[in-house]
Amino acid sequence: MTAVADSVRVPARQRGAAFWLHGFGSMLRWEMTRLRLLLPITALVQTFTGAGLVLGIGLFFEEMAPRIALYLASGAVVISLVTVGLVMGPQLVAQQRQEGSYDFIVSMPVPRSASLAAWLVLNSVVALPGIVGAVLVAIWRYDAAFHVSIVIVPATLLTLVAGVMMGHAYAHSVPEPLMVGLISQVLIFVIFGFSPISYPVENLPDWLGTLHRYLPFMHMGNVVRDGLTDGLVSDVGFSYGVLSAWTLAATLVAVVVAKRRG
Amino acid sequence: MDDWVFRVDELTKSYGDDAPLANDGITLQIRPGEVYGLLGPNGAGKSTLVKQVIGLLEPTKGSITIGPYDLVADPDHARQLCSYLPQAQMPIASFKVREAIEIAGSIRGGGGADVKRRTNELIEALDLGEWRDTLGAKLSGGVKRLVGFAMTSVWPGKLVILDEPTNDVDPLRRRMLWAEIRRLGEAGTAVLLVTHNVLEAEKSVDRLAIINEGRLIAEGTSSSLKATDSGSLRLQVMLAPGTETPALPEFVRFEGRVGHNLVSAITESDASAGIAWAQRLMAEGLAEEYALGATTLEDAYIRLTGHVSEEL
Ligand SMILES: Nc1ncnc2c1ncn2[C@@H]1O[C@H](COP(=O)(O)OP(=O)(O)OP(=O)(O)O)[C@@H](O)[C@H]1O
Ligand SMILES: [Mg+2]
Repeated sequence: MTAVADSVRVPARQRGAAFWLHGFGSMLRWEMTRLRLLLPITALVQTFTGAGLVLGIGLFFEEMAPRIALYLASGAVVISLVTVGLVMGPQLVAQQRQEGSYDFIVSMPVPRSASLAAWLVLNSVVALPGIVGAVLVAIWRYDAAFHVSIVIVPATLLTLVAGVMMGHAYAHSVPEPLMVGLISQVLIFVIFGFSPISYPVENLPDWLGTLHRYLPFMHMGNVVRDGLTDGLVSDVGFSYGVLSAWTLAATLVAVVVAKRRG
Repeated sequence: MDDWVFRVDELTKSYGDDAPLANDGITLQIRPGEVYGLLGPNGAGKSTLVKQVIGLLEPTKGSITIGPYDLVADPDHARQLCSYLPQAQMPIASFKVREAIEIAGSIRGGGGADVKRRTNELIEALDLGEWRDTLGAKLSGGVKRLVGFAMTSVWPGKLVILDEPTNDVDPLRRRMLWAEIRRLGEAGTAVLLVTHNVLEAEKSVDRLAIINEGRLIAEGTSSSLKATDSGSLRLQVMLAPGTETPALPEFVRFEGRVGHNLVSAITESDASAGIAWAQRLMAEGLAEEYALGATTLEDAYIRLTGHVSEEL
């Protein structure tokens, strides 16, 4: 019984770096275990999705110009990155709400920012194979002339964080699981079909192109492409700006809704 | 000594302007080491109350404190001080039983060795050894419930909140569960326990409150709640299907009817008259059986809420 007695002695309010790290570590362990059956499969699917996107769209062309291959490959990377945070994450949250286990998870004594960080790490682990898959296939199949530079690291990170935070924000602010599912469907539709990620924005009607200047998706494509290639992207500074603004706003909303009570 | 009393004061919760108040001015206190039962019919507002304690819901009015700490103002602190077993099932499909309990303990701040020891202790005490390394997805509902209880009480903190912990649990393990709940109290944790099972609560809680339509309508020890029933007997008549509630003789006090079950009270001196009346109902084909017995907390519960609890 001594062990329980220790816990009952509960100390003063915990805060600070050590407490945060403990929460982060144990939440990561919790999520890893919770998704242990799903993670390997998801990573595998991500890899095939990344590779498949590059190969599949390539079938439309008899001969693939290297420029198009580069567009496709970097587009596939972005799509792998954002679908994880923007679609799969919210669907998991919706599922938790449906089965009622959401209450237990949010009742654990872990700082909200630590849970969020653990979630982000988990998403990165899942998204990584897709990136590698897309790039490798593009090189092998189309001799795509990649010029990978170090900016690929901040570019993929920013894209990933933006996706995860936007996903987190809407998944936690929309209480109906069905609605979350619907929103994620619409997002898939918009991202895959109508976003200049895998093709240049000039291919879209003007008004849609203008709209995309202020949406995050095209800019995700731009910053990632800038990290993978040479000379395909102009004005990458503006893209970083818009994307950072979206990420910041989504993070704020994500933190606020995570702290909100009914 | 520190004042670690858990206090709920004038707690009011509204889910919307048109909805009736889910909690309406509830005030109660639980001392460290006390096991406190929260009883009431479906929709009475029990879960609403406990969700405000743990910071899942924000009170419309009123305060919730433990000792000097304001749990409404600082829900992060509330989560450190209180552990919570929700009414819904736990998300442990891909956890082995031992793992689920250990990770929960570690998240709640327990050290590795302590948590391991506690985990083994609980697995032993709740007779879960057989499933120690079984995945949650393969557990029966009752065993899952017990694992949820273990996850909540492995590193309990100042207040353990249990929302219907005995649901789906078999009678033998229910007893083990109640013993563990008592042991939490002995270790100095306050326990706030929501249940529909009045008879079990009567045996195992120190004090209890009855909530109905958002209001706390009675509070005390089970004997103090039964006090008005002392000298009374319970006369329960199972009416024949399709029978209207018959007119009751003067000396029979109507307490409630659920389905065919008519519950009433009579004073001890009227026992034989009561039996005669019930037998006459049976002779006339209005009733199928009857039972006369000592009053229990159940009778107080029925009298106060007009509901018959699930175990009747
Ligand atoms: N999220 C919600 N939004 C609106 N109304 C709600 C919500 N949750 C509960 N209620 C309402 O508040 C009242 C109290 O519900 P609560 O869940 O607290 O009851 P309870 O005592 O726990 O019941 P039970 O024994 O069935 O679990 C009910 O009328 C219920 O319909
Ligand atoms: Mg309830």
